[in-house]
This record gives sequence, structure tokens and C-alpha cells, in this order.
Amino acid sequence: MSDPLNKNSKQGEEPRVKLPPAEPRGYFEGESMTRRHVFTVASQAIGGVAAAAVVLPVVGFAVAPLFTRGEERWEAVGPVEQFNAETYKQVVITETPGIGEAGKTTAYVRTGAEKYNEEPNDVIAVSTRCAHLGCPVRFVQAAQNFICPCHGGVYDFEGKRIGGPPVRPLDRFQTRVKGGQVELGPRYSVTNQLKAVRVRDPGEFTGGIWEYLYPPRPSTFPPPSN
Amino acid sequence: MSLLKRKKNDAVENGAGDAEAVAKPAKGERMSQAKDLAVHHGTHKSIDVAGWVDSRVNATGIFTAMMSRHVPKGTNWFYTLGSATMFIFAMQAITGVFLSMYYTPSATQAYASITHMTNDVFMGEFVRGLHKWGASLMIILIFLHMARTFFFGAYKYPRELNWVIGVVLLILTTVMGLTGYLLPFDQRSFWATIVANNITASGPIVGPYLADFLRAGPDFSATTLSRFYALHMMVVPGLIAALIGAHLFFVVKLGTTAPPWVRAGRPKGSRPEEAVTAGVARDDFEEIPVNGAVAVAAAEEEADAADSSDSEDGEVNS
Repeated sequence: MSDPLNKNSKQGEEPRVKLPPAEPRGYFEGESMTRRHVFTVASQAIGGVAAAAVVLPVVGFAVAPLFTRGEERWEAVGPVEQFNAETYKQVVITETPGIGEAGKTTAYVRTGAEKYNEEPNDVIAVSTRCAHLGCPVRFVQAAQNFICPCHGGVYDFEGKRIGGPPVRPLDRFQTRVKGGQVELGPRYSVTNQLKAVRVRDPGEFTGGIWEYLYPPRPSTFPPPSN
Repeated sequence: MSLLKRKKNDAVENGAGDAEAVAKPAKGERMSQAKDLAVHHGTHKSIDVAGWVDSRVNATGIFTAMMSRHVPKGTNWFYTLGSATMFIFAMQAITGVFLSMYYTPSATQAYASITHMTNDVFMGEFVRGLHKWGASLMIILIFLHMARTFFFGAYKYPRELNWVIGVVLLILTTVMGLTGYLLPFDQRSFWATIVANNITASGPIVGPYLADFLRAGPDFSATTLSRFYALHMMVVPGLIAALIGAHLFFVVKLGTTAPPWVRAGRPKGSRPEEAVTAGVARDDFEEIPVNGAVAVAAAEEEADAADSSDSEDGEVNS
């Protein structure tokens, strides 16, 4: 019986001016929102747009390297006659320019061997980045193995894991012979069967379901076709 | 002097001294006029810098609320581990700012700038040493502080949120350790960062992308060092400072807990037989003080060690 908009009117006394019925309280006739609600939503929306205008570009700025692929680099490491199928020759290439020594890496290069069903014209370049956590491995001539100093990973002559914690064979570099010079290109990873796949970070398995659990990153180069 | 009395005096002075008012008032007089004004506005405490600030933002009130809180009986040196950690954080922040005056976050110059600041700059070895050893000390103190909280049961209701904030602070501190370790850019820090990044990458699905984000690309590059530097200098310290603020706010708001060997008392005014049900009653925040410490501080007896195993007591203590 009491009119919510006329709280001041005394109990039982008829208000002088009859206001139009407004239900629920705070709404005016024909409106579906209170004005307070309209202004709340509007100011929050404007604030949200302003915040997004700052935050989105900044976040994009920070994550851009995930979607940017660098320039493809090929580096000559010496005439093809320098390399043979029996053993590896150590070469140093610059993988990341502009940061001095930190951007350089060592690779072991040889030509294809019939023993491993490789073409004699092939050039194989094995990366020294251990497939466990990225320490630099070295090729031990006497044992014909790659051995990692950090946690004892051991790889055979082809770079396949034969002991220790590594999860896959050693990575390789794409190779080509141009004007008699051997050139090393982008890095790629291999499966346990030495099938080329897109490069993975150390510690990541390759092949089978692992190709989905460790998805290829857009910042890397596609692998050479086998 | 009360406001009323002061106003009366004003009236007397003004009525009597209209002629003298033309003359420039002396310094002391001007001061008293300012004081009168403050009194008139009801904001007067005392006319000095502290009073001026105080009458506007109630700094004394905030300070008192923070520094002269009730603490429970049995509070001991273990309760200083949190403050010690915060002191080390402040030290790291200060020394870090000064180290940044000499440091160059560039892959080709970082190592040289570190050797320069260590060997050539006056007190450089000391300031860098403070920062380096302070980093280890901060991790140690955090774990001791965490152990105190755990073994004293201080993480229980209503302080779970503060435990969660504390864990986030612990994680952020380890991130500080990770990002700071690269900055000297010697062989050790370079390879340690390579390994840490590859451990990150070995997490399924998101790992490879997270590693790319940290490295700013598929390989360690020039941007990696500046990225780690920015995280170490700006992003993580800012987050830590903000979370320490929240952490302290909850400490002040909720109070500290009594050690488990101190038996909790009953809320003031309750009858002795109610002490048994105090644990139940304390769930109702409208009937008893919000600040658990106040109730505990009102404890009249200290318990022997055997009592601390009592489940009822445990609940009250938390």
C-alpha cells in the first residue's frame, strides 16, 4: 500500500501528486536500465578500451619474437675437398649475428658414408648442441663418440644417442655446396631414425606423438625434405 | 586549549586591537594567526611539518595502526624473519639501482662493464658483493620465514590468502635469481641460462613458446640479455613491491598468530566455561574481534607444551 517513491508521506495519508507507477525502483517509464547502470557500463567500457589500447600493443611488442622468423643465413666453412667420410672436421659458424662470441657455435662436418646409406656427395653437419639441455658436446676421436661434459650424454658417430640423459639425436645443419665451398644453413632436428623435422629446443623429444606435445614454433625454419 | 576558548580569545583581541591591526604583525603573531586558522578549521594538531601532514592524511594514525599493534604472547625472534626478508629486498633494490649506473646490458659489453665496476669503480666490489650475496641470503630468509609460518600454523584461516601471496613472492624471487644470473654474462651465467631456458622448453605444449618468449626468438640472441635485464630491473621488482604491500596489509589487518605452544585465551568478557567453545564462537566475526591477535593477547594463562597438541587450541591459535 505504501508508495516507494513517496516515503515522506505520512502513513495512511494520500499523496498529493500521484507519481506514475515505477517498478522496479529507479527505472523511469519505458527504460530498461537505470541511469546509474548505464553510466557504470559506459565508463567501464571506455576505461576498458583505453586500457586495451595500451596493453595490447605492449603485449604484442613483447611476444612478437615468437612469430618472427629471422633471415636465413648460409655460411661457407671451406672447400668440399677438406671434408671426408671417415671422420669429422670441426668448424665454427655464426648462428646469431651481432652478439660476438655468444652467437657462434661449433659444428662437425663430414661427407656421406656408404656405411650409413648416405650419398658420397652429401655433406653432413652435426651440431654440438647437446639434446639434453644444450651444453656443447665434443667429438672424441678415439671413441668415435660425441660426449657431453655436463651430464654425461653420449652419441655415436651418426649423432644418435647411445647413453646418458639426452632425449633424441644431435641436431644437424642444412648443407649445400656452392662454387666448391661447403655452406651451412639453418639448423634442424632429427628423429631417432634420423628423419629431418623442424628444429626443437634441447630436452624435447622428436617423432610420433612428441611432434604434437612439442609443437613446431613459427620462429623456426622448415626442415629440409628427406 | 579548546576550540571554544580560542574563539573567545580571538573575539577579545579583534575587538580591542582594530587600530593595531594596521601595523604589520610580528613573526610570532603570524604563526599564531596560522594556528588560529587551523583551529578554526578543526584540523589543528600542532604547527610543525609532522602536524601539518598529520592534520591532512592522519599519518600518525596509519603509523600507529602499523607499528603499535597488539601481538600475541610468546612472540619471539622467529617473527622477525619476514622483516629480515623485506630488508634484504630493500637492500637489493637500492644496490641494484646503483649497479645499473655502471652496467651495460649488451651482449658484447656486459662482461666488460661488470669487470670495470668490480675492479675499477670505488667500492664497486663491495656494492656488487652486497647484491650478489644478498640474492642468496634473500632466498634463504624466505624459506626460513616460510618454515616459521608453516610450523607455527600461521597459514591457517583466515590467513590462507597471505600464504598464497607469499608463495607467489617466493616464485618471483626465484625469477629474480634466474634473470639476474645471466647479467654478468660470463661463461657460467651464459650456459646456466641456456640450460634454464631449455628446461623451460621441455614442458609440453606451452614450453617451446615460453622458451621463445624468454629468449625473444628461437635462439639466444642480443635481445635475450636486454629482455632478462628488463625483467630483472623493472617487471619483477615492481610485482614484488606491490605484493609485499598486500602481504603487509594483511599482516596488519589480521594480526600475527601466537606460537603453537602458547594456549589461546578466551575473548575478553567471556566466562571461563565459554573458553571451551571459543573456537566455535570465533567463526562468527560479528561477536568477537576481527583481529585474532587481540583475543590471543588477552590470554591469561600460558599453557605447557602438552596443551599445544589440543585440537581446540590449534583452531583458536590459527
